[in-house]
Amino acid sequence: MTFQGLHFDPVRLPEAAERLRAEVRAFVAEHMPADYLPNSDFNEGHSPEFTRALGRRGWIGMTWPAQYGGGERTFFERYVVTEELLAAGAPVSAHWIADRQSGPLLLRYGTEAQCARYLPGIARGETYFSIGMSEPDSGSDLASVSTRAEAVQGGWVVNGTKVWTTDAHRNHHMVTLVRTDPGGDNRHAGLSQLVVDLHGEGVTVRPIRNIAGGEDFNEVVFEDCFVADEDVIGEPGNGWEQVTSELSYERSGPERFLSAFRVFVEFVRAAGPEPDESTAALIGRIASHIMTLRKMSMSVAGMLQDGKSPAVEAALVKQLGNDFEKLVPELLRLAPPVSVGVAGSALRRSFEQTLLHSPSFTVRGGTREILRGVIARGLGLR
Amino acid sequence: MDALLADTAERIFRDHCDKALLDAAEAGGFPEALWDVFSETGLHEVGSAVSGTRLADLFGLLQVAGRHAAPLPLAETLLANRLCAVEGLATIATGGVAPWGRRADAVLHAETGRVVTDFDHAPGTNLAGEPRDRIVGGTETPAAVNVVDLPELLALSRVALMSGALSRALELAIGYAMERHQFGRPLSKFQAIQHNLAVLAGETAAAQRAADGAIDALETPRFPDQVAAAKSRVGEAAGVAAEIAHQVHGAMGFTHEHTLHHFTRRLWAWRDEHGAESVWQARLGRRIAAGGADAAWEFLASAER
Ligand SMILES: Cc1cc2nc3c(=O)[nH]c(=O)nc-3n(C[C@H](O)[C@H](O)[C@H](O)COP(=O)(O)OP(=O)(O)OC[C@H]3O[C@@H](n4cnc5c(N)ncnc54)[C@H](O)[C@@H]3O)c2cc1C
Repeated sequence: MTFQGLHFDPVRLPEAAERLRAEVRAFVAEHMPADYLPNSDFNEGHSPEFTRALGRRGWIGMTWPAQYGGGERTFFERYVVTEELLAAGAPVSAHWIADRQSGPLLLRYGTEAQCARYLPGIARGETYFSIGMSEPDSGSDLASVSTRAEAVQGGWVVNGTKVWTTDAHRNHHMVTLVRTDPGGDNRHAGLSQLVVDLHGEGVTVRPIRNIAGGEDFNEVVFEDCFVADEDVIGEPGNGWEQVTSELSYERSGPERFLSAFRVFVEFVRAAGPEPDESTAALIGRIASHIMTLRKMSMSVAGMLQDGKSPAVEAALVKQLGNDFEKLVPELLRLAPPVSVGVAGSALRRSFEQTLLHSPSFTVRGGTREILRGVIARGLGLR
Repeated sequence: MDALLADTAERIFRDHCDKALLDAAEAGGFPEALWDVFSETGLHEVGSAVSGTRLADLFGLLQVAGRHAAPLPLAETLLANRLCAVEGLATIATGGVAPWGRRADAVLHAETGRVVTDFDHAPGTNLAGEPRDRIVGGTETPAAVNVVDLPELLALSRVALMSGALSRALELAIGYAMERHQFGRPLSKFQAIQHNLAVLAGETAAAQRAADGAIDALETPRFPDQVAAAKSRVGEAAGVAAEIAHQVHGAMGFTHEHTLHHFTRRLWAWRDEHGAESVWQARLGRRIAAGGADAAWEFLASAER
């Protein structure tokens, strides 16, 4: 393949989508948990109350068919809701994965019965999903997963260990990538995706503490865990295609460049209405990145809306976005509002929280190095 | 931009802007043949009311010109032609310095809106060797031109030129990495090279999108914010991209013989012209600060409307 140029078609959000903005802001003002330090990282802040309220409002599963509790709205409307929630620093992690990834996966590959069983609960904000891809010996090299499922009467018996599974200790189900067949020479063959009940028999979930002191991700161990045939997503053996199709959804959204947004907001507050030249320039520099990334991310949303699968463009957004959101605390730390900021202030707490979480930005959802490989392939280099 | 226009411009620049022409222009020789073809085709009026084209087309044309490092004072000529009717080649002076002042028939002073003819000049160049001549004296035309938006339009011209030059630098780097063999394989097969090119591609894509976005925002209320963001973001991209493009080219890219410098030196020059990143960042930052922290998101989210 030779280099064909990069495609980011301009997109302007339709009126219907823009109109949602004010509604989301009013909703957040009403439902934000008391004493909650707003945080724009989609992995932080697990609030079933907030998520259920959001579900009642019709803002989960917005693009899905009405028969499964969806709102039949456009990707752009969903885009506005998600970016408004992140920008406000609302607690979104309970529904985030199910809404972004597991639900669309079920809609695309799942049976009607699976959709009927899981999607309405997700859309109501009551059913939460985790992603069971990574394992102790399989990170970037996802096709090497060794958790296996053996066929038995009426289903499968699963053995193995998943790790880094965000919110497995508080979510209900996990889309689990397993080996159902040795696959032989083709590493990508013989993989399947199963919906596993995280509270069922044969599943042990152990939280893992991170460097920020939080316990958000987990180890999930399967010991002879039975999964019924009806919980296989798509065709057994088609897991690789399915798992890679999830990734365009996973990689290009506003959560890939807004993780540090609340620090920026608190910085602007501390800088006051008339900052000096260099402080103003810092604010402007960060804004210029956000404005540009947002344009790119909306272009990808437009391509998804048109039914395309812009894998390379999505990887570009994630690469640029993650590097940028890591840069934000680094840029701000030497400027007076942060460097001499009051310990315990919203700015200082937000700054520390973001810095402590920043190593994960370029690891989760595909590392920076893996994304660069995806982009290089798109450029025709490999 | 209008596809036919873009094709015509692409063809003209591709046919003319070879290394010999670029080197000759750098030695001070105005590319008369290119200018003749360009103006005979009517492209010198793109963006002005008489031509039936839009202002956005003017900047689309500059993106194409940037891809070819076209050695004409196109940004200034097209903007001047849009603002005032002058005979021959017009250019614009900022702080008294005008691209190709030595060859121009008329100069519009960006600060005062005054047009001068029959002036003297003291020759100079920017770091890409593009003529940047100090305009001395001259006869002023009676009426001043409205130059309210001119600083933003000139900044956008550099954004457009840079986005074009960036796409060319990326192509050159990819092409070189595929051709050049070391250790028995093409450079493009080494992961370190692939990763550098992925970063270069990211910066190029960001610059392209930022430029297109600012061009789309022409004649809308948020144009000043979009230009500020674009000049800042694309200027940053220019620095990163030039660095990587050179690294991938090794010593060859450091020679005057290779064409890479026609693009990288322009990127370095253009990011500083009409306000380096810091200038536009401070402008944008002051507007956000004035609106207050709780309106910062609305400021960003409404920029595309
Ligand atoms: C906060 C957080 C939440 C997560 N949540 C989930 C989740 O919910 N579900 C889930 O399944 N996973 C989750 N992950 C795991 C994540 O997907 C993996 O961490 C990621 O895929 C990388 O795998 P690894 O950590 O094993 O690193 P490794 O693959 O061991 O990589 C280590 C380093 O080596 C580099 N590297 C690896 N291979 C190459 C190569 N071929 N070339 C060059 N460099 C290479 C990597 O880029 C990285 O820098 C989460 C991770 C984090 C940090």
